[in-house]
Amino acid sequence: MKRIYYFLMLLAIFGTSNIYAGGYQVRLQGNKQNGFGLIGTPLNNGAGSIFYNPGALSFVDNKINVDVGASFIMSNVAYRSLDGDYTAESDNPLGTPFYLYTSYKISDLISVGVAAYTPYGSSLVWDKDWAGKFLIQDISLEAIYIQPTISFNIDDVFGVGVGFVYSFGGANINKAINLSNNSSVNLEGKASGIGFNVGLFFKATDELKFGVDYRSKINMKLDDGNVTFNIPGSLEPILGGKDHTFDTELPLPGNLDFGVSYQMNDKLMLAFELDWVMWSTYKQLDFTFDNDEESPLNSSNPREYKDTFTPRLGIEYKLLDNLTVRGGYYYDPTPTNEKYFTPETVSLNSNAFTLGLTWSPLEFMDIDISYLQTMGKQSEKTYEPANFSGLYKTVAYVPGFGLSFKF
Amino acid sequence: MKTKYILILAILAFMASCKPDIDEFEPSSGNADFTSYVAVGNSLTAGYADGALYKSGQEYGWANLLAQQLKKVGMQGEFKIPYMPDDNGVGFRGTHPVTKLILGYSTDCLGNTSLGPVLADPGADPSVLMANLMKSVADQGPFNNIGVPGIKVGHLLFPGLGNPALGPGNFNPYYTRFALHPATDVLIDEAEKVDPTFFSLWIGNNDVLGYATSGGVEDSITNPLLFEGLFKAVVAKLTSLTSKGVVANIPTITAIPFLNTVPYNPIPLTDSLAGLLNDGYLIYNQMMEALGKDYRIEWHEGMNPMVIEDKYMDLPAGFEQFKFRQIKEGELVTLTVPQDSIKCARWGTVKPIPDKYVLTETEIAKVDEAITTYNAIIKQVAEDNDLAYVDMAAALEKAKDGIVIDGVEFNTKYITGNIFSTDGVHLTPQGNAFVANLFIDAINKKYGSKIPKVVVSEYPTIQFPD
Repeated sequence: MKRIYYFLMLLAIFGTSNIYAGGYQVRLQGNKQNGFGLIGTPLNNGAGSIFYNPGALSFVDNKINVDVGASFIMSNVAYRSLDGDYTAESDNPLGTPFYLYTSYKISDLISVGVAAYTPYGSSLVWDKDWAGKFLIQDISLEAIYIQPTISFNIDDVFGVGVGFVYSFGGANINKAINLSNNSSVNLEGKASGIGFNVGLFFKATDELKFGVDYRSKINMKLDDGNVTFNIPGSLEPILGGKDHTFDTELPLPGNLDFGVSYQMNDKLMLAFELDWVMWSTYKQLDFTFDNDEESPLNSSNPREYKDTFTPRLGIEYKLLDNLTVRGGYYYDPTPTNEKYFTPETVSLNSNAFTLGLTWSPLEFMDIDISYLQTMGKQSEKTYEPANFSGLYKTVAYVPGFGLSFKF
Repeated sequence: MKTKYILILAILAFMASCKPDIDEFEPSSGNADFTSYVAVGNSLTAGYADGALYKSGQEYGWANLLAQQLKKVGMQGEFKIPYMPDDNGVGFRGTHPVTKLILGYSTDCLGNTSLGPVLADPGADPSVLMANLMKSVADQGPFNNIGVPGIKVGHLLFPGLGNPALGPGNFNPYYTRFALHPATDVLIDEAEKVDPTFFSLWIGNNDVLGYATSGGVEDSITNPLLFEGLFKAVVAKLTSLTSKGVVANIPTITAIPFLNTVPYNPIPLTDSLAGLLNDGYLIYNQMMEALGKDYRIEWHEGMNPMVIEDKYMDLPAGFEQFKFRQIKEGELVTLTVPQDSIKCARWGTVKPIPDKYVLTETEIAKVDEAITTYNAIIKQVAEDNDLAYVDMAAALEKAKDGIVIDGVEFNTKYITGNIFSTDGVHLTPQGNAFVANLFIDAINKKYGSKIPKVVVSEYPTIQFPD
């Protein structure tokens, strides 16, 4: 009972995450995978397969699996004006993506599971008066995915799994507006959407495994959000009052992941994965105010993202019977467009390194610890509609901690 | 177990110590020397804004913004400005001293309250304002910013510019206040006092502005030949002090909000009122037809162009009292035209708008021609003396269509355009930052320097009341 209570606490408290690479995607969805270059598609090492590859879920050994954990993202974004010595640094709150997976093996043929996890999110806080304040002061996006899943094991060679995804979350945005001084606008609302996750797992031999996973795009629709203008009284009649409503849509892009893992010997495993993230669906961010297509407050903001391909490498070594260590590397290219790079989503081409270990003090329990560090390459970027340019550089340090239970 | 904790601690310590370090901007003075900078010019250089010279306006003046950046490329000491004592400042309506303008509410003759420029302190005692303005700050000099509001190019060379003995309207109190010997001092000689290694010169606007802002009534346009001689003399004086400097040309005055805010056709008429007026102007129209002239005054339901005085009308001798006509689209009305007189005293319908509030097409042509000629001279002199050159006219021309910098939208519209302050002529702090960057661009280009640009969005725009 107490344990369930604790899980609910996690759901309530955690859930916001930071961006620093790969748009606003956050793949920190399992502390075994986190340490392994975030590779999970060709693995069947726990209930995390619900996210990484539902097809592999029916290849997970035990009757009941419960995986729970979180990561702690400490990130910084540095900015410098292009032709000047102005610098700024974001002061981001600790990001805490979490996951909770439970699976149950009904038979050798069928496994089912349900999961809650947070694959997208962002939280970025610039100084209220910083140079880009008319683009963004602070932003927080969060999305929690709930995914019931079923997985079939065909002759212990093929695994096929599918999950339905319900996503809910919200957004909170503050930006300054250049009508009078110290004016700003707050946009805040709740959003939801649906999608699916389907995976194939192929165990060619006991050593060689392949995985393919497709997680569909989810359109997060935000209806009747609240807009509050923080403006002098004399501007209220001009803007039609301080309070308005807004509608918008934010796409959470689809992913197609391919992975292969190879067990070299009793101790050593290597894996490679390539993730195709279909960011090109994120064309623009449109705001419609007061349900009025003609409102002068409406805006359409180009983003023009492009698809990315992220290659990942992972290596795992079984040090002791109950202690496994792992490491990984991946290159995370930015999906952002050269002309439409806004400081609301500072995503740069990044190199990332991961470390991890799993210690099993008890037969039925693993303690998973991971550490990830990603470094966004210093880049010159422009958001043309606002003529806002600068140099950006990012870094994020992400320790993670999780527990796995198997019965 | 212990090693694990040590590992975690080490990782945490490492993380705390690492922040992304971005390449630093490396400022450089190139082949210029910015040790001591002197700014020479008129109200724009002085930091005049909102119809007055006031302290924070002076601080936000582009010359001061530029100077703060020059500190990073070798400027020594303080950029000294003859600061006004307070933030209400002093400006003039004719010879009558007033405070600066702010946005506020006023009630018109029809009882309608609206937002617009109002005096920050309408009850300010003129003699107190004058005393504030005239209180000498000369002992705090010498000054690096020697911009003086209202001056033409010739005033830089004119002994006694600040001589109060010449009487109100005939001397410049903005110079009086920082001249050591107001009766005899020559403004351009102030430059020498700071041993300049670099100068800026932005002058000539008032050589046409006074004419333009008085609807072509007061103040004449300086003769181009005279302008050339005077401008060359000023540059010769400055280049005798230092060979390095920047000059700026004159932006198109007819683009400023002062002349582009009041529409040419602000008169709403009903069908019956239009009929009445048409009856009234029947004789005028018949007379013009008899004279073989195209001038007609016609009214219709809806918005109508105003009737204005026009001394350039082509009428035979003896018809001087008929030198009024309907304004054409494209002719400009000043921001200072009394709106109450239009709304309630039948100005523009029964009484022609006085000449001083209108820039007719003839006058616009004169102003544009003068600026074109002056700008050719300024450019030539800049080239001849190998100085950096800011094409302010081109920049403002571009701004007419709207430009965006750091999310700040600039255009030449009144109040909402962010460039021009409440007086419709002078700059907002954001406008000053925009102009400072134009100077920085020109200097960097000419001298191969790397002066960091200012961040436009860090500066205020026009404040609205609560």
